[in-house]
Formats: sequence, structure tokens, C-alpha cells
Amino acid sequence: MNGTTKNKNLAAYGGLLLCILVFSVVPPVFGQSIWTGAKLSTLMSDVIVTALMAVGAVFVYSLGNMDISIGGQVGVYATLMVLLGNKTGSLAAGIALSLAAAVLIGVINGATGEILKIHPIIPSLVFMMVLNGIRSIIYTKLGSRNVSLSSVDYSLLKQPWFMAVVLLGEVLVITFLFRYTRLGKNAKAIGANSVVAAQSGINLIQYKALAYVIMGLCVVLASVFQMGYTGSASDATGTGFEMNVMVALILGGMPLSGGMGAKVSCAIIGAFTYSLLDVGLPLIGVPNNMTFLVKAVIFILVVLITCRKRGGTLPR
Amino acid sequence: MSPEVLLEVKHMHKAFGPTIALKDVDITVRRGEIRGLVGENGSGKSTIMSIASGMQPATGGEMYYLGKPWHPGSMVEAQKAGISMILQEANTIPGVTVAQNIFAGREKEFSVMGMMNMRKMYRAADEVLERFGISHIKGNHRIDQYTFEERKLIELVRCVNEDTQILVVDETTTALSLEGRQILYRLIHKMAEEENKAVVFVSHDMDEILEHCSVLTVLRDGDIVGELNGEEIQALDAVKNIRYLMVGREIGEKYYREDYDTSHEAEVALELADVSFGPIRHFNMKLHKGEIIGFGGLSGCGMHEIGRIAYGIEKPEQGKVLRKGKEIKSPLMAIQEGIGYISKNRDTEALILAGSIQDNIVLPSLKALERGGVIRPGEEKKLSDHEIEAFRIKCGSGKQFVNTLSGGNKQKVSFAKWTAKGSEVIIMDCPTRGVDIGVKQAMYSLIEEMKKEGKAILMISEELSELVGMVDKLVIMKDFKVTKEFLRSPDLQQTDIIEYMI
Repeated sequence: MNGTTKNKNLAAYGGLLLCILVFSVVPPVFGQSIWTGAKLSTLMSDVIVTALMAVGAVFVYSLGNMDISIGGQVGVYATLMVLLGNKTGSLAAGIALSLAAAVLIGVINGATGEILKIHPIIPSLVFMMVLNGIRSIIYTKLGSRNVSLSSVDYSLLKQPWFMAVVLLGEVLVITFLFRYTRLGKNAKAIGANSVVAAQSGINLIQYKALAYVIMGLCVVLASVFQMGYTGSASDATGTGFEMNVMVALILGGMPLSGGMGAKVSCAIIGAFTYSLLDVGLPLIGVPNNMTFLVKAVIFILVVLITCRKRGGTLPR
Repeated sequence: MSPEVLLEVKHMHKAFGPTIALKDVDITVRRGEIRGLVGENGSGKSTIMSIASGMQPATGGEMYYLGKPWHPGSMVEAQKAGISMILQEANTIPGVTVAQNIFAGREKEFSVMGMMNMRKMYRAADEVLERFGISHIKGNHRIDQYTFEERKLIELVRCVNEDTQILVVDETTTALSLEGRQILYRLIHKMAEEENKAVVFVSHDMDEILEHCSVLTVLRDGDIVGELNGEEIQALDAVKNIRYLMVGREIGEKYYREDYDTSHEAEVALELADVSFGPIRHFNMKLHKGEIIGFGGLSGCGMHEIGRIAYGIEKPEQGKVLRKGKEIKSPLMAIQEGIGYISKNRDTEALILAGSIQDNIVLPSLKALERGGVIRPGEEKKLSDHEIEAFRIKCGSGKQFVNTLSGGNKQKVSFAKWTAKGSEVIIMDCPTRGVDIGVKQAMYSLIEEMKKEGKAILMISEELSELVGMVDKLVIMKDFKVTKEFLRSPDLQQTDIIEYMI
């Protein structure tokens, strides 16, 4: 590792540390602290979905690709879990079906770009439209804009400690796959230079598809918690999640062009930074309708800090 | 200062972080000279001229150009003032026309009321191309349709104009075929001898240096260690003297293989059977264990394609590539069957520049390193460190990024990928491109060693001398056809071969 990457990592942590510092110091002035049990559990429920998705997305982003269908996937998976949960009395069937769908979507998403030689974002755009269409048909048929779990106990999914355990587990598994197996090493090599990767004997189709499948499985996990927080799903569930993932990864210092600089830590740092803003901004008295603008300003500041160390280049 | 002096460099110092590239260098470029700069990779020869031509600033020292202090802010600025540099790697803008490349940054000359007069630009481009003797390239064609070599020549046309006082040619000839080189040589002689300008020529090719340079500066480890004038360059033992200065020790006479034993084992290691691909028709070749087959010709003769077909990158329309009875259809299959491939395009096809030396070396071996699906970092490091040691790659550690290495050390990494993998058949396309003699010598002895170990080698090269010096059988190609085969022999002369290439 050379000096600049070390600095870059420090800078990425810097964005998170800055947020922690600001939100630890400023809110108490208004009579509230962010470090209370209630606030932390809000933070955890806020961070869990983005973090679970972003950690899995590290695989796809390390290829230098991105997936626009994440939000659509979450919407359909959450709906499936609620509907099948009410029918069978257990979440297992919905989760199993979602996992199967995620594998299928992942394989197609990852492989078609390479096979048809089209930009990899295009298959994911197609999936975004297809999934939104499916969701729209489901809710039209139901004649309602949302569905709720009625006969399944999902209280465990709302426990902050359980969220923390699941997130930790996912981080450990993904980090292991990313650092100590060919799945991660090949994905990074493909992102860094796909010609070199191919000439070094990496099957591009296979490893791109696997990267998307891994992300898909993590998206299913995120959908469980998204659905579990309220015990319901609606025709708007998951909307914009692909952007949350992207913003979180950029905040965490992930190079958008993929390659050797990709790290799982980018996803964690980014997701926590993003959620701290979500939870912290109202506490320091930023009105709800202003939070987007304030987030935009903080986003560009963190990006500039993070990327300064990288020879002055912005994320790419 | 005498009017003869164009550029004077005094006490130049350049450091990249802790690495000192130039210690305290003085150099003077005079009118009418072709000054050769030679030295091993990392000796600082390119660095001096890249500073003089505005690519990067020095960390100390002074420069005077035409008698005035000289601080170029960019290559464009230097070029406008009369110092142009042609680089080793491609430097043209893809996706636009030849004319747009030649006149990049000078578009104003062709604009009328804010609109570009493209026809005028194409005409002007055709005129300069004609003047350089490369009229087969047309100004209104897209640059992408031309080969690497032709793009290099277009770059030359862009860099040189009436105002150019000093032309710096940095390792450009390795990218050029014989014809391309002739165009370049004609140009530099005309500039120096007829127009009384100066040329600084950076090259690894000793023959070319001796033939074309009027003075020679030798560098070693960021210091100037000697200067040779015309007579000394023409002296019979010049090559030996120069090599001694460059390396700082006797490197010995041994350079290429000294034996003329063309025997090899009977087993066929790689076969191309009746292969057709594009203009290549019905090509046959049998490479045996312990044999080195060389392919020579002008660039564009089809020899590079043979290498790509043999490695499964290009799929033949007809015929088969066979290894031990199995058909090779992709690089993945080739690697599994023990074939390795060193691409000619090192920086774009062979190495992940933004990756560490270790990541690059172990890349083809990852599958072999796996134990129960897990790759232990210790195993990766062991394999990589072994190769770094064996090749004497100059680096702090295996964690160092490849893009911080010099050309020769990058090429060593490219080799090391396949020795680490233990490949039995190695296809090398221009294996010593841009590599200095010290490293070349090491690579030649490595290739010889591989032959002794029974490995089969396919050596594709644009340098005839290394083919004659190293291979058992030399296949010469022209226009995608084999024109002649030569067997290794002490009597084989380059002049006998060239007629089959052109």
C-alpha cells in the first residue's frame, strides 16, 4: 500500500469522525444528545438497510459497475415476504422465493452485459422497469397501496442488537469472500483492467455474474429488515435505495471505477455517515424540508475531503 | 554563452518522494548535434528531457534555453517555444481525425468567425504528412483506423514544425517497424545536419544509437558517468565501453545464447493446425518441448496475431490450436493447459497498473493457491516474494504499486506472472520492449534456462538481433504469410533475413 491510499482511508474515516464529532457536540446545545438508547436504536434501524445493501454492493462496485435495480428488488422482495408470510404464517417461504429471484436476477444482470457487450448498467435499468412493473401489477390487483403482516411475529427484526449481529455477520462473511477468495480478488482485477483479467484466465462472465448474485443475496437480507421495521410493504418500498447505496459508498471512499481500491470498509463507513446525517440533522434543528439540501452540502464537502488525498481526482 | 548552445542544464536535481532520480546533472545541447542519452532503466535519462520539455518540474537546478532562463509550465508551452518530445507510449487522441490530432491546440488557425474550416485543416494536414513522406495517411481519416505505429508517426508530425529547435525522441523506435524508423531517422538527420537544430535521442537500442548519434551522454543512477564524442562512438569497442559505463561493471561477453544446438524433445507442446483468422490462411506450426521458435517481420505482418491465436484470445475461423490433444479456445483454457502469454501491450493488457506487484504476479496463480476455497495472504506473499527475488525487481516490497516501477521492472513483473504459474509453454510478444541491456541480459539467460528445463517458447519480436541470437527456428512473415524459415546457425546474418520481411 502506498502513502496516498493510506491517507485516503484516513480521509474516509475523517468524514465519519467529523459527523460523529459534530453530532456529539452540537445537539446537546439544543438539550438533546445523540448518544441515548432511543436515538441509537433509531440510528441502527436507519443504518441497517443501507449498510446491508451497500456491503453486498461492494462486489458490484469493485467491478466498476453499478446496479440501478436495487430499489425495485427491495420493493418486490418485501412485498413477497408480506404476502407469503400472511398466507403461510412464516417468513421462510417469502425469503426463499426472494433468494431464488435474487440469484436469477443477479446472474442475468451480471452476465448479459458481458455476453451482449452492452454497458452493464443497461440490464439493471431493464430490471428496474420490470420490477416496478411487477410491483405495480401486484398492488393494483390487491386494490391497496400497502400490505401488512398480520399473522407473523416479526418483533425480533426490530431489535437493535439483532440488527447489529446480522450486520456484523454479513460484514464478516463479505469481507472474507472479498479478501480471501477468488470471488473478491477476481472482481477487483476485472474492475482494475478487464483485459488483463481476461488474459490472466479470469472468466469475466462467471465472476461478474457471481458478484451480482452476492449483492442480490445481501439485498434480500436488507429487504427482510426493511419490511420488518414496520411489518409492512407498500408500492413505494425501496424507492431510491439504489441512490442511497451509491451515496453511502461514495461517502465511504469507494472508487466508482472499481478496481484495487475497493474495500468493504467503504460501505460500512459510508452507510454510518449517511445515517448519522439522517438522524443527526433533525436533532440540530434542521427543518425536515431542508435536510436534503443540507445533506447535499455535506456530501460534496465529504467527497472533496475524501478525494483531495487522491492526487486531487474526484471519484471515478 | 555561445550561440551554438540551445539548451543548458545546470545542477538539475529531481526527487520523487524518497527516490532520487537525478542527483546533480549538467548537460548542454548544441546546434547540429544528435545527442544520444543512454542508461539503464531508472538511470534518469528520460527524466532530464521530460523536465526540459515541460512534463514535470525539477526539484532543483537551473535551465537556460536560447540563453534565457527556462521554466516551461507544460508540454504545450515547451512545444510552442521549440522543445518537442515524443514519448514511448501512445499519445494521440482517439475518436477524432488525424488532422484534429496534428493540429490539437492550434485549431484557431483554421477557424473563421468561430466556425472550424475542416477542409482547410485536412488540406494542411495532408500537406505536412506529405512533407514527412507518409502520404498514405490522410488528414480526414479517423485516427483509430491506423495502427499503433502509424499513430506514432502522426504524433511525430504533430510535435515537429518549423519552430522546433530541439526534438526529444524518447524510446519511440521500439514502437516502430523498419520503415517507420527510416522516416524518423531521415527526419532527425535533416533537422540536425541541414537545419542546424538539435535532436536528443533516448534509446535502448545500441546499434541505432551508434549509427545515428553524433555525441553520447551516459547516465547511471541519476548521475552522468561519461560523454562520448563522434570518434569514440565510431571506435570498435564502443559498445563494450558504453555498456561498462551504463552498468558500472563488466557485464561480460555473454548476451545472447552461445550454443547452436537446435535439438529439442520430440513431444509437441503446442500446435496450430490449419488455422485461418482474417487474412491469415491455413497456418501450421508445431512447437516442441525445449524449443524456441521465433517470429519476425514488420509490424502488421501478422506475427502478433499468431501469438494471440495461440493463446486463445482470437478464435480462429478455421483450424485448431492444440495442446496435448486438447483444443485451446480461450485464455482460461490456455492457462489451465500450462500456457502463458506476455502481451506486447504491457501497460494495457499485461499489468494492472493501479495494483500492487504482488496482486499482479499472483493473478494467474490464484486458483492454484486456493486451499479449500481460501487464499491465504501468506501464500500469496511467499509466491510473489520468490519471484521478486528471482527477477531482482527493484522495489520496496511486493505491496508497491506497479505504476511506480520503471519500464524494465514492469516487464519483469509481466514475466514473473508466468514463471510463478509454472507455465510450460510461454508465448512472448516483444518480451524486451523498452527494456535496458542489464535486464535484457537477465531475460535472455532466463529464456535460455527455460529452454533447458524443457519449456517451449514462442518468441515474437520486432528486434531481429534478439531473434537471431535466441531462437532455434526463425519464421519470417510478410503480409500474413510465412515467407521463409531459418534454422539457428552462426552464419545467419540479419541482412539475409531482411529481404524476406520487406
